Amino acid sequence: MPQPSPTISLDGLTKRYGSHVAVENLTIEVPAGVVAGFVGPNGSGKTTTMAMLLGLVAPTEGAGTVLGHPLDDPGSYLHRVGALIEGPAFYPGLTGAQNLAVIATAGGHDPAQVAELLELVGLASRGDDRFSGYSLGMKQRLGIAAALLGNPDLLILDEPTNGLDPAGVHEMRQLIGRLADGSRTVFVSSHVLAELEQVCNWLVVIDHGALVFHGPASELLARSTTTIVAVAERDADLARLEHLLSAAGHDSEVAGGELVITVNGTEPRRLAAEVNRTAGANGIVLVELTPTKTTLEDRYLAVVNGGDR
Amino acid sequence: MIRTFKAELLKLRRRRILVAAAVGALAFAVITTTAVLLSAEASGSQPPGRGGATLESLGEPGGAAEAFSTGASFTGILVLVLFIANFAGEFSQGTFRTLLMRQPRRIGLLAGKMAALLVFAAAVLALAAALSLVASLAVAPTQDISTASWLTLDGLAELAEGYGTALVGVAAWASLGAALAVLVRSGPIALGIGIAWSGPIEHLTMDFWNGAAQWFPGLLLEALAAGGSADVSLSHALPVLAVYVTAAVGAAAITFQRRDLTA
Repeated sequence: MPQPSPTISLDGLTKRYGSHVAVENLTIEVPAGVVAGFVGPNGSGKTTTMAMLLGLVAPTEGAGTVLGHPLDDPGSYLHRVGALIEGPAFYPGLTGAQNLAVIATAGGHDPAQVAELLELVGLASRGDDRFSGYSLGMKQRLGIAAALLGNPDLLILDEPTNGLDPAGVHEMRQLIGRLADGSRTVFVSSHVLAELEQVCNWLVVIDHGALVFHGPASELLARSTTTIVAVAERDADLARLEHLLSAAGHDSEVAGGELVITVNGTEPRRLAAEVNRTAGANGIVLVELTPTKTTLEDRYLAVVNGGDR
Repeated sequence: MIRTFKAELLKLRRRRILVAAAVGALAFAVITTTAVLLSAEASGSQPPGRGGATLESLGEPGGAAEAFSTGASFTGILVLVLFIANFAGEFSQGTFRTLLMRQPRRIGLLAGKMAALLVFAAAVLALAAALSLVASLAVAPTQDISTASWLTLDGLAELAEGYGTALVGVAAWASLGAALAVLVRSGPIALGIGIAWSGPIEHLTMDFWNGAAQWFPGLLLEALAAGGSADVSLSHALPVLAVYVTAAVGAAAITFQRRDLTA
């Protein structure tokens, strides 16, 4: 069965400002219908990449397609794209509803959607208030509402949780989850993967403008290792336990007063029991025995820090 | 372009904007009418060298347009400031970015926005002309000025001509202001350049260079508003101004089309 064409396909996309390389030779594909997290540290080129997808910034080199249309003809696809980039930008003297009506009119969309969208993002009761009086969270939600005008096939959201308090981040995450209904592709950036971890099933990780990882989030997670951390009553026993475990075919390493045992193929609870038995049989008293599993955030940090590319 | 035009009109049709524009037009009519009609003297009693309307000239068909035309000649800088603030504000607020994500045809976006603002300016100017006529009709009897010829065909034609001249001036100031804002992208810097150039720089240069009045845009626009002057005829001012406006708008359009929009 033929694969559906990717929603976003970039081939060697590069943007230079003089000698500064903002995005370097970026080649990625984002399949249709996924929630793709676009992750990288601040200044890694996420916003510039998104601005190129939206026709706001011209690439220095490279090519690509969005929704099957070439990147250099944004007019052919932007009517199917909704975006929030570099923070919500609206007319401060207009109300939320008026702002949406202006943008809908400019985009050729039906302004009748405005009330429905304000309801969707939880701003129905504040739609007639001026934008200048909105809190940051309300501004972000209005930005999402503007991005949803015309029921776009692709949503591009640049750091939508920026500046929000934990409750706002949680709320935004839930909203993004609701917007990803399977038929729509969501491409959302953040410098904190933990904010997106629960909603993303595809990841693009960049650092210093260059691609570090792209693919299913589960693939990145699959590279992770589960470990068991053991702490002995006497630190000197850890080296002895390491030796005993090594003889039994297990990898482990003493670090910072702990013995970190890598779980390879064995079920973690069974290995923990084995470690405990081995220690007890050899007169070693363990005061802690903790299985730990690396999170996607740990993997992301390892990848960005160059440990595992 | 049509969609941007309609979107811009949505912003301008707000009650606050309409009330502010109406109050501005009314204030313009009252102030200019009062100043022109109440300061007019008989032609024989005016000090030598003093220009302006006389009681006799105000009694002619063109008297109906006198207050409006005089007042309109002082609005150039105001129009320049308003258009710079409007266009530069789109950059500083990031709203050009928001609009371009919905309407990526950049020239169309600029043209639609400019057209809507000019239509609005034309409507406000028409209201100001009508209110000036009403105010002039009310004030004229206090100065024994005859208004019999004002509402004749000749009188109304003079008023229409005054309106047309003022509209051309407003369009030129507006275009130069918008172009400057798009080129510079900063409201304060564009305002500084626009006001300094059209105010002190042009007028000071005029003191030591006779050609300034014939070639500087601000001075040409002043001559246009006055219906021509001793130094500059309308037939000279209009084509030179057209070149200025075309060059400024063209440069702004090309720059806007090509430049990355990162703000």
